[in-house]
Amino acid sequence: MTPAIDVRGLRKSFGKATALDGLDLSVRPGHVHGFLGPNGAGKSTTIRVLLGVLRADAGHVRLLGGDPWADAVALHRRLAYVPGDVELWPNLSGGEAIDLLSRLRGGADAARRDELCQRFDLDPTKKGRTYSKGNRQKVALVAALAADVDLLILDEPTSGLDPLMEAVFQECIREAKAAGRTVLLSSHILAQVETLADEVSIIRHGRVVETGTLADLRHLTRTTVAATTERDASGLAALPGVHGFRMEDGEVRFDVDGAHLDAAVRGLGALGVRALTARPPTLEQLLLRHYGDELAGVPEGAAP
Amino acid sequence: MSTAATLTGTGTLLRFLLRRDRIRLPGWTLGLALLMAYFSSAVRTVFAAPEDLESFRGYLDSPAGALFGGPSFGESELTVERFIAGEYLLTLLVAAGLMGLLTVTRHTRAEERAGRAELVRAGVVGRSAQLTAALALTAAMSLAVAALIAAVLLRSGFDAAGSVLFGASVGAVGLVFAGVGAVAVQLSAYPRAGSATAGAVLGAAFVLRALGDAASTQGGGLSRLSWASPLGWSQQTAPYVHDRWWPLGLSLAFTAASVALAYRLAGRRDLDAGLIPPRPGRAHAPGWLRDPLTLAFRLQRASLLGWTLALLVAGAAYGAFTRPLVEGFADAPADVLALLGGAANLLRGYLGLMGLTMALLVSVFAVLAVQAVRAEETSGRAEPVLATAVGRTAWLGGHLAVAALAVPWLLLVAGLATGAGAALSADDPGLVLDTALGHLAHTPAVWFVLAVSALLYGAVPGALPAAWALPAYGLVTGYFGDLLGLPEAAAALSPFAHTCQYPLEPVNPPALAVLLALAAALTLAALRAFRARDLRTTA
Repeated sequence: MTPAIDVRGLRKSFGKATALDGLDLSVRPGHVHGFLGPNGAGKSTTIRVLLGVLRADAGHVRLLGGDPWADAVALHRRLAYVPGDVELWPNLSGGEAIDLLSRLRGGADAARRDELCQRFDLDPTKKGRTYSKGNRQKVALVAALAADVDLLILDEPTSGLDPLMEAVFQECIREAKAAGRTVLLSSHILAQVETLADEVSIIRHGRVVETGTLADLRHLTRTTVAATTERDASGLAALPGVHGFRMEDGEVRFDVDGAHLDAAVRGLGALGVRALTARPPTLEQLLLRHYGDELAGVPEGAAP
Repeated sequence: MSTAATLTGTGTLLRFLLRRDRIRLPGWTLGLALLMAYFSSAVRTVFAAPEDLESFRGYLDSPAGALFGGPSFGESELTVERFIAGEYLLTLLVAAGLMGLLTVTRHTRAEERAGRAELVRAGVVGRSAQLTAALALTAAMSLAVAALIAAVLLRSGFDAAGSVLFGASVGAVGLVFAGVGAVAVQLSAYPRAGSATAGAVLGAAFVLRALGDAASTQGGGLSRLSWASPLGWSQQTAPYVHDRWWPLGLSLAFTAASVALAYRLAGRRDLDAGLIPPRPGRAHAPGWLRDPLTLAFRLQRASLLGWTLALLVAGAAYGAFTRPLVEGFADAPADVLALLGGAANLLRGYLGLMGLTMALLVSVFAVLAVQAVRAEETSGRAEPVLATAVGRTAWLGGHLAVAALAVPWLLLVAGLATGAGAALSADDPGLVLDTALGHLAHTPAVWFVLAVSALLYGAVPGALPAAWALPAYGLVTGYFGDLLGLPEAAAALSPFAHTCQYPLEPVNPPALAVLLALAAALTLAALRAFRARDLRTTA
């Protein structure tokens, strides 16, 4: 099956600053793809190239089988976009902005639009300049979700929404997926991506450093194990892939690399397990593993 | 909260405002002083001999002179400094008024709107500190302007008492419009609405004194209108003639009253709220709003309406003064008459010059329209539109098409209004059509300005402000080209030199065709360039 989004070796610089440095991204049709990374990693730049708003310096970019720069208008009929910072026309009401954006795309279901306004608790009669950030985002979300399109491109779509609205948003994304839509969801709300995404790509300094299903990614990292055993477990510390081994009050705790989990659990089993908890790594831990060194400072010459 | 507590932090804020305005403040104050120095030296150079000045006497005492300059005080002898006070004081007063109202808006309502005021007020800062600091800054700027202008005039060797009063009269308008601005920003939650309201008061003050001063040359009772205008108070000081200080007492009393009102209103509203509540809009877009062209029209509609009304009023007002102006100019020096096509053609010459003036104004609209397109892009509002099934060419083309259609519309409105005023004033109905045609004939030149602006935007958006050179150059060559003895070739660089000042000069169809072809070619190049470049967003 051809991917909905297929990017290979994408490069984009602004003057001397390299924003994208050989980025690869593949999104399967009908899937929700989480696009994770800190501010300035290149998420929005990637999305703008996909929208044909920026021209790629180098690399292969296909969107729904077309060239996002040359075939922009035709492709845009089949996608809807929610920017991270939604700016509205100050003297147009939210309802006018929604209708306008829908009509410019080629029309939308009016009943669905009204239903979404209700679900997101949005007052469409207020003027653009009177909306808060969250409400501006709702305007863009309603316009995008009301559209009958193949692909949704969402750039941190809920950064201004409250938890109640976040729940409505997640529901809408599940519905979109059930309707067969593909979703590219850029976010740094990890719980959101963990709940919604089938696959995840982690971007850093303009390139994707990890991509796959959450299960795939978890396999690459450590699981935290806590157990109480009948016999002394100190021998486990010497097993390959076991880290941070410690024993307190007869309970043993350690982290183990995904590849060595099997051996460690066998070792435990031989000791007579009385209690056992094993926690898979959270997305947060995954991310921290990739960005941990950033806390100690960005390496010289890296992209912003 | 005690009064003292509401002012906590004013000093710190004032120092911070001075730091923020470290470029803007000298820009305004030194800019006004430089303008003064330019007027002073230019007038002294041009009117080296006293009889040169005397030749302007008839013009100064005419309604035309009063309309564009100010009241005449029946001085026995016209001196260079009296001429400067009569002709150029008004320009400085308007500029000082703008300085006052824009500075107050910038540091009060605009800060609230941007959300920065909230951050500041969450600190140890009293409720009235921000307004007080903004007013103190504006007062300091007005004082600086007064002192600098007085210094410039003193250095020119003019009478000391008159020079100090001249400076004080300019400074006083800065204070008055700081007060007006302080009240205006309380009314609406939007900084633009605040400065527009205060700007409308400045416009009304200008018109009131224009009518009053023009009436006074005819001995009419309407001359009292000048006393209803803050600009009038500063002109009634009559520097170098009567040297009276007391009209500035009116300015100070008005300032005190408006500032007191501003504090009262500010105390009755919430942060970032206006006294006039925002009206709800439509829940659905009207059916016609559905493509890039109609979107562009919807976005430019308010500005178009404002321009239409402004040109209608300005055209009718200037048209209505055709007869007194022509009679006033009959006494003007030969150089000025030459600008209007000579004494025999004064009426047609005046209407032709009005056509050029309106065309220059409409070309300002054209550049502003392209700047508004650029603002759509940099604010991030263009991106979601271009992410729908709207191509680059359709988006920019829609905006340019609306602006291009607005050009002949605005010229027609201005021409019909001026023509109607002139027809009534000169009792010649045929002037309506002649004047309207004369205005419309400038369309290709304004389109050329629009096309150049579009190309700059499409290719090098950062260079768009360079487009202002065209209206500015058109103004200089059109008005002063003959006076300055500019060579023919240099004047020909202005597109407005080729559209001719009908009805004074005949229309030149080949020149119009060339301008049209150039405008079309530049527009195509602009669309191509915009299609090929990245969209610029701040984020």
